[in-house]
Order: sequence, then structure tokens, then C-alpha cells
Amino acid sequence: MTQFFPRLALLAALALAGCTAQTPDPANTDSPEAAAKTLTIYSARHYDTDQVLYDAYEAQSGVAIEVREAGADQLLETLRAEGSNSPADLVIASDAGALWRFQQAGLTQGVETDRLNALVPDRYRSADGHWFGLSRRVRLVAYDPERFSAEDLQSWAKLASPDKAGEICVRSSSNIYNLSLMAEMIERLGPDTAEAWARGIVANMARNPQGGDTDQIRAVAAGQCGLAIVNHYYWARLADSASADDQSVAARTALLVPDFGDGMGAHVNLTGAAITATADDVDAAADFIVFLLSPEGQRLLTMETKELPLLDGPLQTAGLERLPAFTASDIPPDILGENQAAAQRLFDRAGWN
Amino acid sequence: MRQPPPLVLDRTIALQITLAGVIALPVLAAIWFGVTAGGGSAWSHIVTNRLLPYTTITLGVLCLTGLLVCLIAIPLAWLVSLYDFPLRGVMEWALVLPLAMPGYVLAYAWADLAGVAGPLQSGLRDLTGWSARDYWFPDIFSLAGLAFILGLTLYPYVYITARAAFTTQSLATLEAGRCLGESGLRLFWRVGLPAARPAILAGLSLALMEAAADFGAADYLGIQTLGVGIVRAWSSFGEPATAARLALILIMIAFAFLLVSKLSAGAAGSQHTSYRWTTPSRKLLSTPSGLGVLGACLLCLTLAFGLPVMRLIWLSLANDVSPAQLWSPLSSSLILAALGTGLAFACALVLVLASHYSRTTAWPMRLASAAGYAAPGVVLGLGGLFLLRASGQALTGGLALGLLVWIYATRFTAAGTEPLMAALSRAPASLDQAARSLGVTGSRRFWRVDLPLLAPGALAGSLILFVEILKELPATLMLRPFGWDTLAVRAHAYASDERLASATLPALLITVSGLIPVIILSRQIARTGRRNK
Repeated sequence: MTQFFPRLALLAALALAGCTAQTPDPANTDSPEAAAKTLTIYSARHYDTDQVLYDAYEAQSGVAIEVREAGADQLLETLRAEGSNSPADLVIASDAGALWRFQQAGLTQGVETDRLNALVPDRYRSADGHWFGLSRRVRLVAYDPERFSAEDLQSWAKLASPDKAGEICVRSSSNIYNLSLMAEMIERLGPDTAEAWARGIVANMARNPQGGDTDQIRAVAAGQCGLAIVNHYYWARLADSASADDQSVAARTALLVPDFGDGMGAHVNLTGAAITATADDVDAAADFIVFLLSPEGQRLLTMETKELPLLDGPLQTAGLERLPAFTASDIPPDILGENQAAAQRLFDRAGWN
Repeated sequence: MRQPPPLVLDRTIALQITLAGVIALPVLAAIWFGVTAGGGSAWSHIVTNRLLPYTTITLGVLCLTGLLVCLIAIPLAWLVSLYDFPLRGVMEWALVLPLAMPGYVLAYAWADLAGVAGPLQSGLRDLTGWSARDYWFPDIFSLAGLAFILGLTLYPYVYITARAAFTTQSLATLEAGRCLGESGLRLFWRVGLPAARPAILAGLSLALMEAAADFGAADYLGIQTLGVGIVRAWSSFGEPATAARLALILIMIAFAFLLVSKLSAGAAGSQHTSYRWTTPSRKLLSTPSGLGVLGACLLCLTLAFGLPVMRLIWLSLANDVSPAQLWSPLSSSLILAALGTGLAFACALVLVLASHYSRTTAWPMRLASAAGYAAPGVVLGLGGLFLLRASGQALTGGLALGLLVWIYATRFTAAGTEPLMAALSRAPASLDQAARSLGVTGSRRFWRVDLPLLAPGALAGSLILFVEILKELPATLMLRPFGWDTLAVRAHAYASDERLASATLPALLITVSGLIPVIILSRQIARTGRRNK
């Protein structure tokens, strides 16, 4: 027994070292001269078309692209842990609030470039150039046209009125889409009105918050509720689905984009990109953002997600034909991040699970 | 072990303490982070508004899950071990198959099957002409629904340990029971169950720790457990430190399980008197009862495996999903699972041998491995990032790989120890004493006595580790190096964006890759049953 434990430990250590050494590491397989420049992207998106997008840019620019995909929070902690050693040049996240958090944590840098400012209107980028919108997502109502007409649903406030009792399907409050909607509502209507609204929605719920946005739309089509609060692209994916069941779900529901009242516009959230504080070649990173904003980049960004391109224009994406026209709200998108924690607290108090 | 040379004791203790430290470090890092950096505004908000509901809901889920696991696993294990009925040989190993199904995948499938728009409810409405508001239907998006899912994925833990205990009970014990006129239910209650209790509790505590650490299924079904609260503290409030603090409560719950299982195993104190542990001859059931038992086995397998897998296959066919680029995630999954199994198994082996040779000094490692097993993968991932920060490196290449494998060992060592422990404890104390009186000690004792005893447990332990690591999601998602997407990461990426149809193929592939080791495992279990006959 004298020798047993040390031997065993050594054996284990050797075996592990052997395995680790033999493991091919895809990150190191590129020879250094094959790619002169590498752009490292931390992305909170995962779409098969994103790979097409990266490949297209690699072919066009000669820059090699390396991607880490994970949730925005996880990417943020990774960046924080890596500190000044981080290889990341760009962060892509699907929510203005998430991008704001990267900025707050000091992980992004403000970029003053005329070319980006010319492409991205003020209301779709952070005030000091820390991040830029790439594409848009609208939170709206999918409803059963046999139960409601568009006039019943014109504003968010109308959803909280007692005549909608037992009619609303919506997902959990911790979901970022609901948090961002509430963050804007707090800004627009003040915290008290916003909380009263949340209580009204809770009182009108047809069932406990559950599932994703798609599940809410399906529940409307199945007749369990009369209306659902969802992001537009989930509906569009059903409309453009290969499955006949999905298409009939879309066919049985109608869409309406509510506003905050008095011409304050509709709640629009953004997918955006930020250049990290550790990016050593800011111009190369900005080049990639410019590519994402080009017609080709916009097409590839929105083709599979069914988000809306950053700027109004002819839609090239199938499934969006029945999306009603809307006027986007013009609050600075930083608000969505600033009010996010307050929004969760408010939801918790209102009993919105 | 009487009077060991002091030098040896010192060395083994040093090794154990070191390994305990290695296993515990990611947990300690996360807790340290939580205690020092936590206490932001989210912490006080959560303590005031959410902590009580999170904790009661978690305890409710655990109680229901535990009950369901016992109700499924113990009777089936008893029937399969002591009675003969049609297809018994197939059922014996098939009942382990649900182990290959990750809880989150089962949740995807059942949410789709039993949701208001799913085939079950649509069919009911078509049949009756009711509208969706006219009837009551069991709600899968509920605490009970979550317990149903977790019970179906976790019952194999108890089935495996209970079945092993029933089949390897000392011949004398059961035969004595039979001679005394006990039979059927009374034999089960008065002889079988008490003797198998330590094994059942060991399996149950693993299953419940797994349930406590669950995030994927609870999140998908919208149940506000502590596991979900931990992630929400991080994602909604941007306070990962608060998340790490909340994880402490889960770790406490796990320690409580460990304590209860340890105490009651000690109280039972069953010691096999004979080395001839063997399955008592199986009693042939009458045709109706035999078919009834077969029906129960099939029902369990259909709910936990057949129906969900068929639904996933149907979904991928109806949506015309192309099997694009699954080779690379498959190989990543297999390599990572193999590496993780290697390290976790080595840790588990040292732990088991340490506690076998010297019971008093093994507790630091047991606590460390229990803490790791109960900590949700997200929290261990945070601990890993915290260690990364301390090292001042980027999360790339071999370092990221090493860190991830380390986290696997922290998370799963406990799952590897139980089968090893069970294998060793099957040996009567007399064997050990005989070895010692023949002067067989040290490494000779290991090679000649303990290794042969350990071998079947070692295979079972490593297969369980492999399957568990294959299914692991949160830590892999956070720490994998560039280009190392696993199947679980892919399935999650699609499912979290509500593209369930695209998620079906990676999800099915995880299940299939897990099936192979699970089948080997269950065949081995069935073989030991036959050999002992």
C-alpha cells in the first residue's frame, strides 16, 4: 500500500496528460501564415446562416473569422474573466439591454466613425458609439380574429383592461423580451403606471406564464387564449414553416403592433454589435460591422431569423408579408438596459412569474 | 485497518486532501465569488421576494420526484429480480434505457406532446368537439409536470442500485425469509426492502441531487426552482455573484441528502454473512399477473423513452430538417465525455479506495464530491471562469479544455463513486480479514483482492460518467474552447430559440450516443444477475 496511492495518482495524471496532448485542437490547426488577420467574434446568436455570413466575409475580405457562441451573460463573464488577454474583437447580442451591460462592464469601446454613424440612425445605436444596431425585432400581439378586432388592441394599455380577463397568453417575466418591453414602459409611462399595467396583465392571464413565444401563438390558435404577446419573427417562422400544422397556426391568428399611446410608437428591440475594449484592430472590426449593414449582410442576417433589417425598405424575407406597418419608438436604446433590473423587480412584485 | 504505519497514513491523507481540494476548488471559487462580490441590490430583492417561493418549490419538486422515482424503480426492480414473466430478460436491461435521455430533451418532447396545441390535446378536442377552454387536462407546465419529467429520467439510478441489491442479496437471507413463510408483498416489506435500503438510498440521493441541480427542464417548463432562480439572478439582474450565493442553498440541500442516506445506511448496518450472494430462484408468475407486470414495464418505457423519441423523430420529419454538420459536434461530445470520464473516474476510484481502507479520513473527499454534484453546472462554470481570471489567461485551446474537464470531474465524481462503492461493499468483511491474515497488504491487496471485486463496478461507474458528461450542458456551453460545440450545445442553441424541429436531430443523437454505453451497462447488469443465479 506504500506505493499504491502515489502510483495511482501518477497513472491518472499521465493518462490525462496523454489524452489531452493527443486531442486535436481545431483552434490551432490553422498555420500562422494561412490567415494574416483573424477577427474573433463572441456571438449570442446561433443560426446556420450565420456561418454562411462569416464564410462570405472571409471570402470577400481575406480575414479569418473565429466564433464563440453562448448566451450573452456567459459571454460577458467570459470576457470579464479573460480581461486584457481576451482574443475577442466583437460582441454580437440580440438585445439592446444585453449590449448595454457589456458597455457598463467596461468591455466595449466607443468608436467614432463617420461611416458607421452614417449607416446607423441615432435611435439604433448607443449614445457614445459603444454598440450599433444590426437588425430589428418588434414585440407585438398575435390574436384570434374571431374574438378580437384590431381596435381592441391598439395600445399596450388596452391589454390590461378587465375585458381581456382570461384571454392573455405570455411567457415568463425573466425573459429578456418581456424585460425590455417593461424597461421601455417604465420610461414611457412611469414605474407606477407600468406596475399597474403588469398587475392588469397578470389578472388577465389565461394560464401561468410558460413555454416560449411560439407556444403562446399555438395556444391562441388552439383556442386556449384570445391573444398572445410575442416577438414578430416567431410568428413569421410559423407562417414560413415546412410543417402544415405550423402554417395553419399562423393562418388562424392575426398580428397587431400596439403602441405606448399618443404617437409614442411601438416597442422595437435590436440585435447589435459592439467592438470590445481589447480589440487591437478597431478598423478591421468596424469593417465587419459595415459589411453586416450592407445589403448582402442584412439579407443574410435576417433571412433565417426573420428579424427586420435595420432600416425600412422592401422586405426580402418570406413569412413577413402580413406584418402590419408600424412606427418605431424613438427612445434611446440604452434605456432598455438601464431599466432592466427595475423591470424584473417590478414583475416580481406584480406576481408575473 | 489496525495500526497502519504512520508514514503511509500521512501520504494517503495528503493525497486525499489534495484531491478533495481539486474537486472542491471550482465550488469554493464560486462561493468565494458569491460571498465577496455578492450582496448587490438583486440579493436583497431576491431574499425579500423570491427566496421562500424558490426554496419551497424546489423542495416540492424534490419530494414529488423522489416519490415518483421510488414508486417506479423499486417495484420494477423487485419484480424483475424475483419473478419470471414474459420478456423479463429484455425488460431487465431495457428499463435502464431512459438514462440516455437528457432531462431537458424529455421536457422538450413532453411539452410538445402534452401542451395545449400538442397531439394529445388536439386529438381530444377533435374527438369530443370541445374547445380548449372546456376541459381540464394535466398541465405539463407545472410543478407536478416537472416532477413527472425528472422522475422518468432519474428513476434508472434507483432501479440500478435496487436491482443490484435485490439480485445479490445473500441467499441465506431471502431463503430464510421464505422458509419462515414470508412471500410476495410480505417478503418484500420485511426482508427485501430493509436489506436493500442502503443501496436504494444511495441511488435516490444521486437522483435527487441531479434533480436539484436541474436547470434545463425546469426552465423550459417555467417552474421557478432554485436552479432557475440562480440563472435569473444572473441573466435578469446581471449579478453572477448573487447566483453563486443562491447555489449555496442547493449545496446545503445536497449535504442533507448525503447525511440522511449515510445515517440510515449506518443504522441498517446490514452485513452480508455469506459470500454466496446470489439471486434466489425466480418465481414464475401466473399468465395474467405476468402480462400485468410486462404491461407496467412497457408503460414506463413508453412514457420515459418510446413516446418522446417517436415524437422527436416525427417532428424532424414533418419539418424536413436536414442533418447538417452534426459530425463535428458528435466527435466533440465523444472526446469531451471520454476525457471527463477519465478524470472523474480516477477521482472516484481514489475516493472509494480511500474510504475502503480508512473510513475516517475519506469525508473531505465525500463532501467535496457531493458539493460538486449538487452545484448546478452554471455555478461551476462561473467558478471555472473565476479561476480563469485568477490565472490571467484567455479561454482558448488546451487551457479551456483542461478547465472544462476539471469542471466535469468536480460535477460528476460523486456519480462515479456509487457503483464502485457498491461493488466493494458486496465483499463480506471476512474476505478482507482473510486477506490480512494471509499477509496480503498494500498494492498486492489492491491487485489480488480489491481490483477483481471492483471490476464490474468500475465498468458501471465509467459508463454512467460517460453518459452523464455527454448530456452535460451549462458548463460545456460556458467553457468549451473555440470550435468545440457539443451535441448538447447545438440542441440547446436551437431549442432556446424555439426551433424545436432543428433541435431534434442533435437531441436524438445525444440519446443514441448515450444508448450504446447504457446498453452495455444494462447488459452487464443483466449478466451479473444470470451468473449469480
